[in-house]
Amino acid sequence: MGVMTDQMQFSNVKIINKLQNLKATFIKTGIFLSLAAYWGVILVGTFITFN
Amino acid sequence: MEVFLPIAQVFVNPIEILFLSAIVGVLSGLFGVGGGFLMTPFLIFLGVPPAYAVANEANNILATSVSGSTTHYLKNTLDYKMGLMIVIGGTIGTSLGIYTFTYFKGIGKIDTVISLAYMYILAIIGTLMLVESLGEIDKAKKNLLIKKKLHVHYWIHGLPFRMRFPKSKLYESAFTPIIIGLLVGFIAAIMGIGGAFILVPAMIYIIKMPTKLVPGTSLFVTIFVSVIVTFLHSFNYGSIDLMLVFMLVIGSIIGVQLGQKLGERIDSSGLRALLAILLLIVGIAIAYDSFFAEEIQKETVKVLNAELNFFSLFIKQFSEEMPFFYGLFSIMFAVFLGVAAAFIRRFISNFKKKMSVKS
Repeated sequence: MGVMTDQMQFSNVKIINKLQNLKATFIKTGIFLSLAAYWGVILVGTFITFN
Repeated sequence: MEVFLPIAQVFVNPIEILFLSAIVGVLSGLFGVGGGFLMTPFLIFLGVPPAYAVANEANNILATSVSGSTTHYLKNTLDYKMGLMIVIGGTIGTSLGIYTFTYFKGIGKIDTVISLAYMYILAIIGTLMLVESLGEIDKAKKNLLIKKKLHVHYWIHGLPFRMRFPKSKLYESAFTPIIIGLLVGFIAAIMGIGGAFILVPAMIYIIKMPTKLVPGTSLFVTIFVSVIVTFLHSFNYGSIDLMLVFMLVIGSIIGVQLGQKLGERIDSSGLRALLAILLLIVGIAIAYDSFFAEEIQKETVKVLNAELNFFSLFIKQFSEEMPFFYGLFSIMFAVFLGVAAAFIRRFISNFKKKMSVKS
């Protein structure tokens, strides 16, 4: 019984850690996508202006 | 309530100008930048013609830089030797920049060049700083201790004439700050700003100066760059409007003092991320203005001398009849206000300390 509780606690910590990592990855991806969109607007805008 | 600017020949709302310059001043004090890259577009949006916006903002930058650098001088957080090396390069760069500016003005392409230069420089620096500061925050959260080299060496660090900079605890080639100053001076002359927003990242990432010495030294360099720009505009185009300068200086000096206080309480990695986001926002605003928005300009108003009040008439006549002394007066006026603000801040700070000791 005690072994089961320890295992459950261990897996709970793992799940929380995974969720935290997922959140960080999600935020980072969002920032990098925003930067890519930002540069896209600048480069396309320059291209259109010069044409 | 609107006030007429006798030199710029437009009506402006002084409360709007005071408020915006105070906000830019807070950011200026927080990040150690002159603020011209923010305030100049704001002034243009408020209806001040671009040529006047650039000139008067340069004079305002002079006052805020003097104020900020006096505060850093009193706190002993300023590296003169490094600053003077950058100023040498900055003077050469400014001369080259002015020559280039005149060339592009001659062929009628100066507006496009300025917009594109603003946009790309802000975007490049903002992106680099944001990526690096996010990495630092991530490392700090994970409590990672990655074994790093003391300095990352670029080709610029291998240049000859190495000398010691005791204050920054650096042993570097004299050419490193001179080349950076040259680049900053060149860009500042073309864009009509102080250039500290390029200087701060360069000092942190290329020269590798201690972060606490960066704001003071960058403001010290900005003083010289903005003096050259103010002189140039005042003598060549007579575009300095003391009424506008006064409003800008009052707002920004109060803002700078608040910004410096705030800067003492915020984490430096967070500061870098904020500065990066700020640069990117200004960059996209300029991109929007260049690509999509129509030019916003207020019509200039013709007001006869007889309709002007005593102060406005005095400014107008002083500017037209004695441009050399008017230019000199504008610079001295900005320097005086800047030094006075720094000493008032010092006095208040000492007074507060005494009061807290007594209680």
